[in-house]
Amino acid sequence: MKIRFVNILKVLAFTCVASLCVYGATVVLRDKDSEYKYADFFDRADQIDVLFIGSSHVINAINPVVLYGEQGITSYNMGGHGSIMQSTYWELMEALQYCNPKCVVVDTYMLQKDYKYLDEMNDDYSDEDRASSIAQLHLNMDCWPLNKLKVAAVNDLIKDEEIRKQFYEPFYVYHHRWDVLKSNDYKTLTGDGDRNHFFGAEMRYGIELTPGIYPNPEDDNGLGGDTIGEEYLRKIIDECQGRGIDVIVTFLTCSASTDDKRAVDSARIICDEYDVPFVNMQEMGVVDLYTDLNDTGHMNANGAIKATKCIGEAIAELGKCQDHRGDPAYDYWQQRAEKFYGEIYDIALSSDSVYQELNYLAGADSVGTILYINDGSQAFGDNEMQRLIHNFTVTPTIYHTDGPYIMIYDPVSKKVYEASGTEVLDGIDTSFGTIHYQPVEHLFRLLYTDEDPETNLLYDDAKIDYDIQIITYDAESGEILSHNYFKSYGSNYTKG
Amino acid sequence: MQFVSFAFLLLLPVAAIINFIIPRKFRYIWLLVISIAFYLSIDLKAAAVMAGTIVVTYISALLIDKVSGEGSEKRPKSALVILAVSVILEIAAMLIFRSGKIMGAIGISFYMLKSVGYLVDVYRGDVAAEKNFCKLALFVSFFTQVISGPIERAGNMLPQFSYPVTVDFDRMRDGFLQILWGYFLKLVIADRLAIFVNNVYDDPALVGGTIVAIATFFYSFEIYCDFAGYSAIAIGVSRILGIDVMKNFDSPYMAKSIAEFWRRWHISLSTWLRDYIYIPLGGNRKGTVRKYLNVLIVFAVSGIWHGSALTFLVWGLLHALYQIIGFITMPVRDKIVAVLKIDREGLSHRTVKTIVTFLLVNLAWVFFRAPTLEQAILIIKRSFEFTPWVFTDGGLFMMGLSQGSFNVGIAGIALLITMDILAFNGVEIRDRIIRQAIWYRWIIMIAGILAISIFGIWGAGYNASSFIYQQF
Repeated sequence: MKIRFVNILKVLAFTCVASLCVYGATVVLRDKDSEYKYADFFDRADQIDVLFIGSSHVINAINPVVLYGEQGITSYNMGGHGSIMQSTYWELMEALQYCNPKCVVVDTYMLQKDYKYLDEMNDDYSDEDRASSIAQLHLNMDCWPLNKLKVAAVNDLIKDEEIRKQFYEPFYVYHHRWDVLKSNDYKTLTGDGDRNHFFGAEMRYGIELTPGIYPNPEDDNGLGGDTIGEEYLRKIIDECQGRGIDVIVTFLTCSASTDDKRAVDSARIICDEYDVPFVNMQEMGVVDLYTDLNDTGHMNANGAIKATKCIGEAIAELGKCQDHRGDPAYDYWQQRAEKFYGEIYDIALSSDSVYQELNYLAGADSVGTILYINDGSQAFGDNEMQRLIHNFTVTPTIYHTDGPYIMIYDPVSKKVYEASGTEVLDGIDTSFGTIHYQPVEHLFRLLYTDEDPETNLLYDDAKIDYDIQIITYDAESGEILSHNYFKSYGSNYTKG
Repeated sequence: MQFVSFAFLLLLPVAAIINFIIPRKFRYIWLLVISIAFYLSIDLKAAAVMAGTIVVTYISALLIDKVSGEGSEKRPKSALVILAVSVILEIAAMLIFRSGKIMGAIGISFYMLKSVGYLVDVYRGDVAAEKNFCKLALFVSFFTQVISGPIERAGNMLPQFSYPVTVDFDRMRDGFLQILWGYFLKLVIADRLAIFVNNVYDDPALVGGTIVAIATFFYSFEIYCDFAGYSAIAIGVSRILGIDVMKNFDSPYMAKSIAEFWRRWHISLSTWLRDYIYIPLGGNRKGTVRKYLNVLIVFAVSGIWHGSALTFLVWGLLHALYQIIGFITMPVRDKIVAVLKIDREGLSHRTVKTIVTFLLVNLAWVFFRAPTLEQAILIIKRSFEFTPWVFTDGGLFMMGLSQGSFNVGIAGIALLITMDILAFNGVEIRDRIIRQAIWYRWIIMIAGILAISIFGIWGAGYNASSFIYQQF
């Protein structure tokens, strides 16, 4: 009897140790995208006042650190890549297990999608689309523990029982990751894995130079009211209203197709039904289609800053969300906000793209910009370049000059100074110093400050071929942060 | 429910615990319940075919016993007629249902041979007809063997149902280790190599010759690991349930001749063919020509048993031919060995024989794997095209396996060969492991579990019923 008891203990102990080891393997091997995105959500769920839900448009367009920096409102970006309305609904249901937001902002991109199951879709989609749709759902689902709600969500989203298994237990699909493991995969074991610094958002830094413009629909009746997307939008609003949570419905700026515009009309109709605010950013002109998109569908970080500020105002109008700035309990949010602005200027200053650099400097509060373009530069024939400079100046000068051209933006005084052709600038007061500019001849011009009159900032023998110069300085200290040279070839630019 | 499924892994401990708890004399009933549930979960309709087989086998055996009379050595003609009718009936059912034209019946090739073997044994008087219907039903349908064997003998199984052994801790550990090894062979090696092999064999004309040769080499290990893996799981599970099942593989690629290969490969089928076809045909007792003819017949039957395609027949006949040529050339080979003063027991001579035997088996596997004879011949031709640059231009890793995965496959084969060499030299690995200290045993077992979980080919997109021999 004693031997039998000892053996049972041994079996139990072995089972425990083996299970622990297998669990460790599942932690190391699982894909980290979902926990990377939601790590801060689980750690700060009790502080979150606003949830942003929707597709990748939301992921790229709404930056909670900007919202905190501007309004002091705490929020989390729950957007999922390829997330159609039913996925978004279940994402919200999962999130509501952990937090009690005062407001939910739901974006309606892909409202027109009218298929029930992500693994089935309809005949318009290829097998690759289906595989991609399943893969993308992992970002939304992997972080949530297996419980009745998750089973209900998976069963509602996925038809094939075999495919459902990979959502119940992600190890089912991730165990083969052993040959792509990185240091971060092991760090997760000790809880030191990487995490998203933007509370679920992802910033992109490119610029879509040729966004498509599509015709408006022939009527404004929308999608007809019976698509699966519309059904789930109603469910989202019902769920929030049932819990006393404010809802804001949005359509974020993108290069919207005619179908997308029908979805906008439908979203508006549903918002009217439920008496909830609808922020149609497409018609508001807040985000510049030509400078603030990363690609035809997604905003870049500059667009995200503008969009977030715009939505932040709509949230603030509802009056439920508190400004937490200055509250020590919310220091973490403040640190993240400061870090973001630091990062975005670093990206702008080190960018190889003149478009990118100008785009991010245009909105900068702590960085001053001096832009010089030599006469004869092909930049004067580049509409995109002109548009980006116009973002600083709001004057038409750049559209009517062949150069030389100089623009000085001083964030402290919030003033912009321009000169073109033979014009001079004399004694411009900035935090960089008192600036003097004078064009002399094609390859020579003067730019100096009273504080350092010996240094001509716009002349360098080694860079004489470069027709564009951008000097940036710290708004507080006046210290030069960067001095970048670009050479134009049509609308292509090479950094020197 | 398949061996490679979570349902099976969850139910096995439950089945083992209940089997452990209930009184020994009733255990066969519990095993029958599990066996019925297992088969029904795989193929509900085909259960009717199995039920028919059990009834025919049960009644036929009792009738043979009855008409033969007690203690009688010589069997009356009526017993032979009953045997012949029941065997023809069962073989016909096997051929019909295996073709799948009316409906498929999974495992029919295996449990039908068990039934036929049992009837012949009863006729010969080697075993008594089983009067307990449940025990006979369990013998035919025992769930660990029903899908892919081993093709057991009634003389070994029926007494174990009546007098089951005590399931002690050592037996549990031994069974567990065997199951682990089985899953390792199947999931880590066989299914990994299968990805490479399938990619190449799907269109051999499109890939470099050396890759085709490597695929054929891999197939030899794929089929071995697949089938030996299944057998190891079956034997291990049976052992945990208190039933000892015959060994099915014994380091087959260590064989130094084709005849020896067949004594080590799919032993339960080889011995079945020997006992129920080769020896009744006269074996080697009726002259050289008759012996060669018997070998041809046995291997032709073996080929046909594996499938109706011509490729299987060619595969079987090729093995027969190897052996006949071996017999014919034996005096010449003996002469050469004597003249050159080759030490037959020397390592180099044994190694050469093992390699030559492996290459012959390897060549024959091409016919076993290829869908048509033309394709098989194309593969053999392509295998001789030397394209060694595939080792350095990355071509080797374009066949569905990444470099890492390919290396795991190679490491798996190396481990298998090491284990086979040890086993061939009489080292009982499991026995050695069990005799080690507890921490040592645990490390090995947990490493095995982790290796299977991490490096195994399973999960999304995996076909759990992909055991090669399940199709036969």
